[in-house]
Amino acid sequence: MLLKNTYNEFIKILAKPRSYLGIGALTLLVLIILFAMKADGKSFISFVTASFEQTLSFNGNILNGNLIAFIILQMLIVHIPLLVSLVTGDLISGEAAMGTIRMLATKPISRTQIVLSKFIAGAVYTLVLTIWLGFLALIVGKWIFGTGDLIVLNSDGLVILKEQDILWRYGLSFGVAYLALLTISTLSICLSAFAENSIGPIVSTMAIIILFTIIGSLDVSVFDSIKPFLFTTHMASWRSFFEDPVPWSTIRDSVVILLAHNVVLVLIAMYKFNKKDITS
Amino acid sequence: MKIAISLLLLLTSYSVKGQNVDANALVQRVVNKINTVKDYSVSAYIHANIPLIKIMPVNASIYFKQKDKFKVVSKGIAILPKQGFTDVNTFLTKKGSYMSVWGGNKTIQNVNTSLVSVIPTGETSEIILAKLWIDPKRDIILRSQVTTRSSGTVTVDYTYGSEVAYGLPSKLVFTIDVKKFKMPKSVAADLNKTDNQKKKTANKDQKGTITIKLTNYKVNKGISDNVFKEK
Repeated sequence: MLLKNTYNEFIKILAKPRSYLGIGALTLLVLIILFAMKADGKSFISFVTASFEQTLSFNGNILNGNLIAFIILQMLIVHIPLLVSLVTGDLISGEAAMGTIRMLATKPISRTQIVLSKFIAGAVYTLVLTIWLGFLALIVGKWIFGTGDLIVLNSDGLVILKEQDILWRYGLSFGVAYLALLTISTLSICLSAFAENSIGPIVSTMAIIILFTIIGSLDVSVFDSIKPFLFTTHMASWRSFFEDPVPWSTIRDSVVILLAHNVVLVLIAMYKFNKKDITS
Repeated sequence: MKIAISLLLLLTSYSVKGQNVDANALVQRVVNKINTVKDYSVSAYIHANIPLIKIMPVNASIYFKQKDKFKVVSKGIAILPKQGFTDVNTFLTKKGSYMSVWGGNKTIQNVNTSLVSVIPTGETSEIILAKLWIDPKRDIILRSQVTTRSSGTVTVDYTYGSEVAYGLPSKLVFTIDVKKFKMPKSVAADLNKTDNQKKKTANKDQKGTITIKLTNYKVNKGISDNVFKEK
């Protein structure tokens, strides 16, 4: 019954125009970045390597598909949460707003399973969005710009990774990026359980992301103790796979924190939805 | 007394003049050797050890053709010093654009070398000063220290192998100044790192080295100009 309901939930997502809005916006953004890089990518690269180029010369194909994918990921991973919450923030509250939640509750399925099926459907939608981003960034990027070594600029300096040492890093980094986006999806569904309209959970999700990001970026010691527990601190953990050596313990901590957020948010949503008065 | 001072000045000026002649002749002999190479291609193994940059060793092919055509072809990204690879040779072949001053002897790689300071006569030259430690027996440069307007000072240690007759090295070790490197904050934003952590990791060292091992020289075999065209 859970799987059947999850399938129904996914059909509902597919039926909503806003679901395609996210994928369409993502496609357009990536195409714009690809065009900009094709037109004037070299000046972008020289901006990155400018401080080194007085003394050193970089030889080889720097502007390649691997770098383009990294740039796209870095630029868009901040904006994709909006596209995710646009769909997932509506999953429970949208039913409440349209009045279909009562009909849903008449089905021979527990409220806990209803919430779970919505979470799974939201997770699948987020996965589709992440895979589509990966396809556009990595496959289309490589098709247009070719392949080569990846040059990454961290605060510690430049890391140049061999071409044959990159694909597994992208695989794992997309996995962690997905987990970060899944946390956004879970958060918005959780907030959706508290709301009676669609717009509230979407705006609230974005407000929380902005608030946590600002707290995380403030270099004030009073926030030092809470920063490691904010999910926004770990949303850029995918980047750690492009360090040398890879900081496995840091990534493990990030994965644990993100998973913990997901579990807690699902439990909160289940509790709230089970107690929710849907008769009035 | 006047006669004694005049004699001393005469001897001193003769001595300095004699050393200048030696320095010019020595540099000229090096230039003559450099000029025997019209073109070459060589396989290079490049290992960079530079603070703030992490890169694995890279294999590349290097092409050179007189006067100043130079190209590095590598499958991956290779880092080379901006100055010091062919610049010294190109600069030395411009006869009349510099003056040479002998600066003493020093033992390098168990070889007694002559230090020659090469100073450009023009005001617009990119090179401000080049110090060359030359093996006077084989007419080859064993060490150079070039100070340029844009790149600071680069020291190069030369090791020679089978192509010593052409003055072509088998190994080059570049020591470069890296204190000017600054990371652009806007593009290096790591959300997980605080400013304090960033400060701890920035600018630990001041010097970096790039070691280039050169093998499989093909000298004066002819290289097409198309090789040097940008793709």
